[in-house]
Amino acid sequence: MAEILVLTEHRQGEMQEISLEMLAKGQQLAEQTKKELTAVLLGKGVASMADEVKRYCHHILVMEDDLLANFNSEPYQDVLSFLIKERKPSLVLMGHTAFGMDLAPPLATAAGIPLATDCYEIEVKGDAVIPYRQMYGGKMCAEVHFKEAPCHMITVRAGSFPAEGLKEINGAVEQVSFQFDKDYAYKKFLQYVEAAVGDVDITQADVLVAVGRGIGDSENLPMVEELAKLLGGVVACSRPVADKHWLPKERQVGTSGKTVKPKLYIAFGISGAFQHLAGMKNAATIIAVNKDPKAPIFSVAHYGIVDDLMKVVPSLVAKVRERKGA
Amino acid sequence: MDIIVCIKRVPEVAEIDLQVDQTGKSIKEEGLVFGVNDWDNYAVEEAVRIKEKHGGKVTAITVGSAESEEVIRRALALGADEAVMVTDPQADGSDAYAIAKVLAAAIKEIPYDIILTGVLADDDGCAQVGVTLAELLGIPHATLVTAIEIEEKQVKIKRELEGGMEEELVVATPALFTIQSGINEPRYVSIMGIRKVAKKEVATRDLGTLGLSPNQVGPAGSFTTVERIFPPPVGEGAQILEGSSDEVATKVMDVFQKGGVI
Amino acid sequence: MDFLEKHELYACLQCGKCTGGCPVSLRAPLNIRSLMREVLMGGSPEVALDCPGLWDCTTCAICTLRCPRGLKPSEVIVGLRAELVEGGRVPKTIIDALEGTFKHGNPWGRARQKRIEWKGDTAVKTLSDEGEAEWLYFIGCAPSYDPRLQRIPRILCRILETAGIDFGSLGTKESCCGNEIRRMGETGLFEELREENTKNFNASGVKAILTTSPHCFNTFSTEYDLDGFKVLHYTQLLADLIKEGEITFSKEVNKKVVYHDPCFLGKQHEIFDPPREILKAIPGLELLEFDRCRERSLCCEGGGGRMWAEGAGEGERNSEVRVKDAHAMGAEIIATACPFCLLTLEDGAKTTGLEEEMPIREILELVAEAMGFDDV
Repeated sequence: MAEILVLTEHRQGEMQEISLEMLAKGQQLAEQTKKELTAVLLGKGVASMADEVKRYCHHILVMEDDLLANFNSEPYQDVLSFLIKERKPSLVLMGHTAFGMDLAPPLATAAGIPLATDCYEIEVKGDAVIPYRQMYGGKMCAEVHFKEAPCHMITVRAGSFPAEGLKEINGAVEQVSFQFDKDYAYKKFLQYVEAAVGDVDITQADVLVAVGRGIGDSENLPMVEELAKLLGGVVACSRPVADKHWLPKERQVGTSGKTVKPKLYIAFGISGAFQHLAGMKNAATIIAVNKDPKAPIFSVAHYGIVDDLMKVVPSLVAKVRERKGA
Repeated sequence: MDIIVCIKRVPEVAEIDLQVDQTGKSIKEEGLVFGVNDWDNYAVEEAVRIKEKHGGKVTAITVGSAESEEVIRRALALGADEAVMVTDPQADGSDAYAIAKVLAAAIKEIPYDIILTGVLADDDGCAQVGVTLAELLGIPHATLVTAIEIEEKQVKIKRELEGGMEEELVVATPALFTIQSGINEPRYVSIMGIRKVAKKEVATRDLGTLGLSPNQVGPAGSFTTVERIFPPPVGEGAQILEGSSDEVATKVMDVFQKGGVI
Repeated sequence: MDFLEKHELYACLQCGKCTGGCPVSLRAPLNIRSLMREVLMGGSPEVALDCPGLWDCTTCAICTLRCPRGLKPSEVIVGLRAELVEGGRVPKTIIDALEGTFKHGNPWGRARQKRIEWKGDTAVKTLSDEGEAEWLYFIGCAPSYDPRLQRIPRILCRILETAGIDFGSLGTKESCCGNEIRRMGETGLFEELREENTKNFNASGVKAILTTSPHCFNTFSTEYDLDGFKVLHYTQLLADLIKEGEITFSKEVNKKVVYHDPCFLGKQHEIFDPPREILKAIPGLELLEFDRCRERSLCCEGGGGRMWAEGAGEGERNSEVRVKDAHAMGAEIIATACPFCLLTLEDGAKTTGLEEEMPIREILELVAEAMGFDDV
């Protein structure tokens, strides 16, 4: 009986949220296709994680080795190729993360498996598994069809499937018997580097006033800083602003920056690229200001203002001052 | 240090209301402005910087329609030494895997130490072509690269991870790296600069000259096809605050107050 | 011809009249006199390319106007910037402006589709798709896209309509005039814009072009080859329409208004009187003059690409000086006739904390008020 394989992802001893999200979706797909759900956990010293993960799947395949201690696509690829050959899953799920982006394409290519990346939804229609993904910076969605094959692979967009609905299955831990025949000296992990921590920690702030490409020019930052100050908050930003070095990298919100959960998040001139939304969508209250009424940010915001931030910021500053003065 | 950099011509869609075309599988391109994929621009700049520091040659390569010549010329003006353009209508409808096959075939005849691509393309956002190409060529790779340091027969790189973390790796050459935006500050390419390379030769290739058969590319040679595209469904979405700027500001104050901010 | 010959650097007397008049030499690391000498002594522009003040120049051209030898120091700066542009050594904000113009036809990189966003409900025919007209009204990039400025062309359209002027615009086909692009040193891009706009002017069937901005007016009059076209800044046409009685005012504007001469209108084209005539014609309006007015007007620092480059200057900005001067003389409004001056002076009002006391207005906004246009 073919199974659905989920590659769990962890870093520095911590299970990544995406793993649970994939298990949740995997459970649903397994039910729909009447298959079993199998998790794969590769690493070193991962026994406790295995105990956690086995609760949510029928089987968990565990392999521990020094070569797997930190993620390296090369040994991971060899173990997974072996497992896929051995177990013939019908579907392999992986995160569309720094981990999955490095691993999925070469693994799929070497094994001749059709791959769809960065998918936000997976449907089952008859025998077919149909992934959905976004294009043009989230402005279009696409229904993707796979070429017929015994196995398909999908990388899953973080935050697409809620992990809350996970059911207890309590499967069995199975050890993988695989021998490495090389030391992978040609691609070696050296160390993790923590992004420099500046004087401001945006993850701790209750109020974040975030600016995106719409700010236009670093010259316009002071007025936003003023608003943030009036609200007792700090200024954060989206990727383009950090790329331009208008604000330091540690102010960047999103999957490649910080994930934040402030009480109030105000997004000025941020269109809402997915990777940004993933980092802030759990804020208690989100206000978005954007000229483009179709900006994706409005889909996660609670309140929206369709206008130029250059007009809105000064009027908010004035109003807050007025209220505070009163 | 010989470097190949793969680039793509893509539409700029910021502020644009995209429309689905008659096929239902792609967007209407009429009126859209095209340019080099943003990530690829960083990759070209990085390639040229490495060349300027360590010597060698930079070859820019693209697969696409005849219009792609504009992004190839731009790469030459930025500092690439040679250019290869693969144009063949039979390659239309190729997925990332099929495009990687075309690039692999084109790269066979070019010597290189490293290959750079952008992490992903603005249009399809697959983040797949570069790494697939590395696998087809049988060379190691790293994605999401934010720093490159050339060493003897190897390259020390940083890759971007989630949560503001990075990791450091060493990778032996030849190798392929997909370049993350922000790795450098791409220089300006002037119109005069582009004019100066107007006469420079761009090697053109088609499937025949690359030794590929039509069924290796296009939909037949692809693992995936886009069945249909559609605008994102409108979710519950935001409550839009309307009125004069003063009225809007007042409404925002109510939100602030409700949230206990003021 | 090499750089030195082209700019006649051998003829420079080093008299310093250029630097003496320069509006940024006191606050920025830019001394045009010594820069000219450095290039001459160095024998090539290369020696001056690291000058930190190169992007501070506003190309107001006072240096060129004052030079007793008829040299063009401001063009030396543009030439040096051109060297930087060709080498790709350009500040990031300038790169964005140039690339935005190359791709989308405006230095803010806004979508071409949105170029007609300013119109709102204003009906303007698009030349030549929707017929012909006597005048082509060239809106300009800043008034097309900047929300603070978008009402300016709406007001002018309403005035023209009231005066029975037959006009149209290029709609989304209008591209940046290139005045600032040329001054940022991107000669090639300027040439492309000039070619494209000229082609569109010719195809529109008009014989007269009207501009909102003195900057567009400047390049069309002096750097385009528009033989057979009449090119006017709106203040020129408006002053005539008032004189001819085609425009009448129904309301008083009881304010003391001081007029700020834009460099590209005043100094460079000696259009000093039409704006003043318009203001004086407004009932109730009392026109004041700055000490530094007309050919001595203090540059607001918005020209020559400074809208996209902060520059290296420190200390008080000229716009702040201007706002304070106006406030000190008892003016209630600063009026000007240039989109860039309007924006920079408004910034000056904000940073000096005089935002409330010293509103900055386009002349057109005061005209609209006097004509009773409440809803533009």
